[in-house]
Amino acid sequence: MIPVAFRTPADGIAREEALLAAGRPALLLWRAETAALVVPASWTRREGFPAARERCAQAGWPLIARSSGGGGVPQGPGTLNLALVVPVPRGFTIEAGFRLICGAVGEALTRFEVATGVGPVAGSFCDGAWNVTAHGRKLAGTAQRWRARGAGRVALVHAALVLDPLPASFWTALGHAHRAAGVAGPIRPEAHVALSDVLPGGMRTGSVFGALARAAEDRLATLPPVRRQAA
Amino acid sequence: MATDIIIPADLWEGDEESVITAWLASDGAEVKEGALIAEIMTAKVQNEITAPASGKLSILKEQEAVVVKGDVIGRIE
Repeated sequence: MIPVAFRTPADGIAREEALLAAGRPALLLWRAETAALVVPASWTRREGFPAARERCAQAGWPLIARSSGGGGVPQGPGTLNLALVVPVPRGFTIEAGFRLICGAVGEALTRFEVATGVGPVAGSFCDGAWNVTAHGRKLAGTAQRWRARGAGRVALVHAALVLDPLPASFWTALGHAHRAAGVAGPIRPEAHVALSDVLPGGMRTGSVFGALARAAEDRLATLPPVRRQAA
Repeated sequence: MATDIIIPADLWEGDEESVITAWLASDGAEVKEGALIAEIMTAKVQNEITAPASGKLSILKEQEAVVVKGDVIGRIE
């Protein structure tokens, strides 16, 4: 399984959006060829943010604004994105969406003898209750976007998995962005762990991609079909 | 007749607060029923708010305002 390679993170995010708009079940595994720091658009409206934007670009992490909230996250060759589009069946909740994607990541990694957990990690960027963790550190972050479609809903369920240790330049850029946005609390690089850090020795991160896609597909296949339910 | 834009009670489970992360139409803009007009974020879940009617949009709760289920965030006349 080879992830789709987009030139920029913005291209990948746009593709996710197009899949959500189509509203059909879909799985997209992707990463971007160029790095960027993706931040909530609300940050970019803060006074002083233009200077931070310039500093981030100088550090090699140009900013891309996204419409959702949360925190700043890295995108680029070192981040793998798993995006699932799920026409929401009856009884499927937001929590079910998080369980689905965290379960898929966890199951895939179990095959490589990597034990994972789920939960918040103090000091991690874009922290939430549904991080996938390894050794108590954040390995992947998750988020969802729900859209009304006709009488039903469609969900985009997303995970971003850090493949390789983030360079010092990322933490520098994130610091610039956080200060300009007024984000309180320290972010600790040691709160994070990369896939390459937890895989058994010598194994390449690319080995996991196929298992990740299969685990996600298996979980999607267990969801009741929306049409049959409505009939 | 004015139609309120209300945060639906069934948009997410629980009673968490949410934040309006974006208005996708300007105050005073003409919007069509069903058009995507706002986005709200609850615990890393982005929900979309669509126009419940066609008409002129009045924004009552600004971007970044904290809202809960049942809040009226705008009105369409």
